[in-house]
Amino acid sequence: MEQGRGGDRWRPPRGRHRLPAEVVARSQRERLLEAAVRIVAEKGFAAMTIGDLTKQAGVSRTTFYELFDDKEQCFLAAYDNTVDVLVRRVTAAYESQGSWPERAAAGLAALLELLAEEPALARLSLVDIGNAGPTAQRRYRAAVQRLTPLFDEGRDYASGGRGLPANTSRMAIGGVTGLISDELLAGRAEQLPGLLSDVVFATLVPYIGPDAAAREVERLTR
Amino acid sequence: MIEKEQLPAGREDLAEPLVAHSQRERILVAMAGSCADKGYSATTIADICEPAGVSRATFYELFKDKEDCFHAAMEVSLADAMGRILSVYSPDKPWATMVRDAASEFLDLLASRPAFARMALVEAPATGERAFELYASGKRVLQSLLDRGREDPVEEEAIPSSAGRAALSGAEALIVGQILAGNAERLRELLPDIVYITTVPYLGQDEALRQSREAEKLLEAGPLGPPPGG
Repeated sequence: MEQGRGGDRWRPPRGRHRLPAEVVARSQRERLLEAAVRIVAEKGFAAMTIGDLTKQAGVSRTTFYELFDDKEQCFLAAYDNTVDVLVRRVTAAYESQGSWPERAAAGLAALLELLAEEPALARLSLVDIGNAGPTAQRRYRAAVQRLTPLFDEGRDYASGGRGLPANTSRMAIGGVTGLISDELLAGRAEQLPGLLSDVVFATLVPYIGPDAAAREVERLTR
Repeated sequence: MIEKEQLPAGREDLAEPLVAHSQRERILVAMAGSCADKGYSATTIADICEPAGVSRATFYELFKDKEDCFHAAMEVSLADAMGRILSVYSPDKPWATMVRDAASEFLDLLASRPAFARMALVEAPATGERAFELYASGKRVLQSLLDRGREDPVEEEAIPSSAGRAALSGAEALIVGQILAGNAERLRELLPDIVYITTVPYLGQDEALRQSREAEKLLEAGPLGPPPGG
């Protein structure tokens, strides 16, 4: 590391310029992504301004425009980041051992806990995405698709060849995300883990029917 | 055409609301169209006035602002949808048949007006509190229809009270996916899947699959006619 050679060099280096440019850009980028999550959770995508973002992240407007074209691009980057974390955590929990209902319940429990810990992220991922235009909505759908295996294995688990509708997993996912969004909209993010039995039932019922689903819910979530 | 000056004062009062009524309708159609093309937030008053063939002055005589106009378009859509869904209601009909017929009417309505479908199900939930409330009130009506399935099964206590709401969200996700993919005119094809997801929590898999296959037969037979065997 370069040592200061004169009195004027003893102060902490005017840091930014000493760090490699990409490192600075990366942390500025990360601060902007965090800011986007917080601001969107607070006032919604439509009301968020570039000024809000730069102020909250402590970067200049010039820096913002070096990193992003507009607020939508910044929001989408924040969104992708969020979804990556969510999907990785849920998938890890789902890939544990056990029967499909057990693993599905583990994945859903991880999802609810993560969302409850990070209400801002939760709102961003599931509710506010609809405010950010068609591109954002397509990203949302792509993100949700990544959770499809968790649901679609139910098809093999259910006594196969029962001719379940082709869209069963899409509808099951829609049911689960719908129940979660309703809680978030009602401002009950912290209570999400309490929704486990409802979302497990919604996941299982199209694949194994209401009686078996109710029995599994009883066994897995009490 | 009668010139304004030729009309007695009283007639003038009568004539203007009539004109305004159709202008109003054209504006609402243009609003839905623009929402479908570029989304609500990017829609300008000019985007609405031009296809509607009305002046800005006329727009502002009828609506306070863009948001007011959007709410009016939502209210009209909601009233149409509720009218169609309630038309299938009959105390003698089995619940599953009623769900199927209501879903069929709803899908037909959405398919016949893709722009309104997109506005009501894609734009409205994300366009402010009042629009969301209108969207949510429509959803509550559908949900109460689904919740009536709870009266039938024996072990109803084991089924969470959210089952109908989850089923409705599942059906909605499928419909919105189809709309976003630009296939709104083919929404009717989703009927068998929607019948399955909405009935399975209460009727069980075998009966829900049977109902779903019935719905498929109806589709193959063409537009919903009078029920076979009356």
